Amino acid sequence: MKKEKINYFYIFLISSFIFLQGCATLGPAFQKTETIPDGVGLVYIYRPDSFIGAAVAYDVKVGETVITELPNGGYFAYFSNPGEVEFWAKTESKSAVTLDIKQNQIYYIKGTIGVGFLVGRPHLMIVTSEVGEKEISECKMIIPKKE
Amino acid sequence: MINRPFLIHWQIGIVFYLIVAVFLCSCATNIAVTPQTIGNDIKSSFQIVGKVEYDGNKDYLPRTINESSPQSDISIKYEYNITYGRDKTPQALPLFNPLTIVGFPIGEDTMVITGNLTISKEEEVIKAYTATCGLEKTRSIFSEGETFSELRKKGLLLVRDNIEIQMCQDKEALLNLIQQTGGN
Repeated sequence: MKKEKINYFYIFLISSFIFLQGCATLGPAFQKTETIPDGVGLVYIYRPDSFIGAAVAYDVKVGETVITELPNGGYFAYFSNPGEVEFWAKTESKSAVTLDIKQNQIYYIKGTIGVGFLVGRPHLMIVTSEVGEKEISECKMIIPKKE
Repeated sequence: MINRPFLIHWQIGIVFYLIVAVFLCSCATNIAVTPQTIGNDIKSSFQIVGKVEYDGNKDYLPRTINESSPQSDISIKYEYNITYGRDKTPQALPLFNPLTIVGFPIGEDTMVITGNLTISKEEEVIKAYTATCGLEKTRSIFSEGETFSELRKKGLLLVRDNIEIQMCQDKEALLNLIQQTGGN
């Protein structure tokens, strides 16, 4: 009986390790990007720390390109060309927001996770600078996975 | 005396219709545009010509305005503002609500779009039009409904159409106003 318990413990430990290997790692606390290069806008994509769905991370895409994985409590600074740009994420359902990006402007996209049928669903929402600045200050930089 | 099989059959029917009703309610997107306009006939031939100040997607620009030479004394400025909203319901709540499994709404997204069109002559505003579109959609465990991108597009087109209708209905007065102030 005791041996079985130990086996379950090791299985849990190994599977947790494998699961966490696939996750993006978080770096230093939020630091404001001081300079925006000419001809682009800055989009902060962040996900406030929350217990609900904490283990679920999802990819945020522009077109078909993955720009970042969005784990719990992380943020990512993305420089985008001006014009209408759609940011989207998908697990069992799709969430998408469109920004009309202007040069040298800063935008905030807040990501959360909601209840789904089989897996948590991503939710992306554009928030005001006041809300974004406050919430992102508690997030940590997302360090991209090495390919 | 009602026999038992008939009663059970009747109860199952009621439950089925309730489920369908709740499911259908949770999929709908509610849209309201103000000011309310009578009729929706847009006279595409009617256009105000001037210097247009707008750098967004041209699809959302009212078709009742047209770009002229930069030297024009008539200036037309169009801008829109979008506000996003989300319900404050705790995300864990649907997990404890037994009605979630029959499609009861688990959350709500809202969006308010306001479009402003201002016609000026030599820095003086001679006419302004505003239209507001409110969009609201609910989410259920089975359906997320339309995305914010889809709602945004729908709302911006409705705001554009509303301003076009207002301008068309105001055609005579608007042309007189421009002529009185010496416009083209």
